[in-house]
Amino acid sequence: MEAVTAVQLTKTYGEVQAVRDLTLHVPQGGVFGLLGAQGAGKTTVIRMLCGLTKPTSGECSVLGCSPAKDPAAVHAVCGVMLASARPYAHMTGQQNLLFFAQAAGMAEKAAERRVSELMKDLELWDERERPVSEYSTGMLQKLSLARALVNYPSVLLLDEPTSGLDYESAHALHALVSQFAAREDTTVLLGTSMMHYAQSICTAYGILEGGELVASGDFQSLREAAGCRAHAEFRLSGGESLEGFRPDETLATGLLEHNGWWRAELRDEEEMPRLLRSIVEHGYDVLEARLVEPTLEDVYKRTLEQHPGKEGTADAHAG
Amino acid sequence: MLTLAEHALIRKDFLEIWSSKMARATLIAVPIGLVVVVPALFLAAVCLVPLEQAAGIQEMLSLLPPHLQHYNAQQGLFYLLTNTLFPLFFLMVPLMASAVSASCIFAGEKERRTIETLLLTPLRVRQIFRAKLACCLSLSFVTTAISFGAFTIVASVGDIMLGMSFFLNWSWLVIILLLSPGLMVFGAVFMVFAFNRTSSRIESFQTVAYVALPFLLLYIAPFTGLFRVNATVLLLAAAVVWLCDLFLWIYDRRTFLPEKFLNAPLED
Repeated sequence: MEAVTAVQLTKTYGEVQAVRDLTLHVPQGGVFGLLGAQGAGKTTVIRMLCGLTKPTSGECSVLGCSPAKDPAAVHAVCGVMLASARPYAHMTGQQNLLFFAQAAGMAEKAAERRVSELMKDLELWDERERPVSEYSTGMLQKLSLARALVNYPSVLLLDEPTSGLDYESAHALHALVSQFAAREDTTVLLGTSMMHYAQSICTAYGILEGGELVASGDFQSLREAAGCRAHAEFRLSGGESLEGFRPDETLATGLLEHNGWWRAELRDEEEMPRLLRSIVEHGYDVLEARLVEPTLEDVYKRTLEQHPGKEGTADAHAG
Repeated sequence: MLTLAEHALIRKDFLEIWSSKMARATLIAVPIGLVVVVPALFLAAVCLVPLEQAAGIQEMLSLLPPHLQHYNAQQGLFYLLTNTLFPLFFLMVPLMASAVSASCIFAGEKERRTIETLLLTPLRVRQIFRAKLACCLSLSFVTTAISFGAFTIVASVGDIMLGMSFFLNWSWLVIILLLSPGLMVFGAVFMVFAFNRTSSRIESFQTVAYVALPFLLLYIAPFTGLFRVNATVLLLAAAVVWLCDLFLWIYDRRTFLPEKFLNAPLED
């Protein structure tokens, strides 16, 4: 059974189509990154998957349960972290988690055990007696993640879990997400615009733009579909120029200079030694040479460029 | 029967109501004022002020039932207060208690945007509705029961001081057994009704004030000589309240839906 399925899912708010004909199949296990800029439709997709918003048309399911028809059944197997879902500010962090554990049907003792385990794992234990109103943004995000994990979910739906966090907190939270995904055999659907973090923890991706899924698959297949190739980069001794050098077109594209490095897109990364040899044979003194693989951000940008008619917002997603 | 999860929600809601200063004040100070302080002050006035010479006292005493026409001015006035004004004050308690607690835990969740988090639990919407109503009603029941106990003491002291028979009569029985529970339910279901139309606790709480108006009229009208509030009139009033409760209950159950109360923005 697939963890998450969406078939021609559409959501319209008035005249705005937030999600358009989205078809998605996320297998169990691993971390699926739903990538997109603000306004791409990530939150709407997650809200429909957890039953907070009903689709205008189309269907979706989480572990075979329909969130539109039976949201409670979905919530029994699924943990959700949304920026708009706030904890009870007047209660302490521990009281919040105990309530959500018991609301999930856990007996008092089991709830206490689970809450202390999560609070220790997420480094919230020392703050357990503090009212949530006194929590920092990072602590609130951790508490929200703990709430999503409290009933041992099989599927985690996370919407921008690192939004508003500094670099260290964001990094720590992503590490926790991947740790839970591995340890508890949980499928994670991560809605994010942070490409750098997504690449470090996701096993597969879907790229959303203007409410439409423009590409999906693992990094390699997305990279191939987008035509993103590895780059060869060279730095020459004494700041020498490679302007006059014309590489064999079967090896690479023309060389361009950027910050003292000469860069060419390779037809195949196996051609790197031949290109390097060719440069050296032409009498250039190569000080440094490196093979640069495309990042998820490169793939994302290239994918959006290949979908004309959509507003290009790729620059906003550097993570 | 309520499930473990529903019990957890009720406990959480009790804590939420108790953490609100406005709700605490309403649940403690208002009943004390309405059923202890004000009746005690009236009792003191009846005992201390020479009523025989007061203007209009004879017209007021003419409102006494025929079998109590032998009461003197003090007794007659205290009887009228106990059966016209004090019931009005007392009935405000169940209405206010359930309305305030409902405004805290229904509109409060919406106002603080925690309703969304609650809807992400495996609790069904109907279970949330049921548990929250159970919380409001049980809190209102406890407040009303304690208030009635306190009022009984004050009224009994007055009865003993003025040499009158115990105040409890058919009208009061209808009030305690039918009208008060009806108003408890009404306060809560009306707040749920208002929940979809208001955006804050204060706003939803204000709407309850409009609902209290017909009851004010019910108890003020006898002083105009239009009609007398007796057990039959109160029975009719209770029937109307329970009918409203039933209607609102059915309506609330149908309209208590996530789409109605989630202020879902145009998210990304």
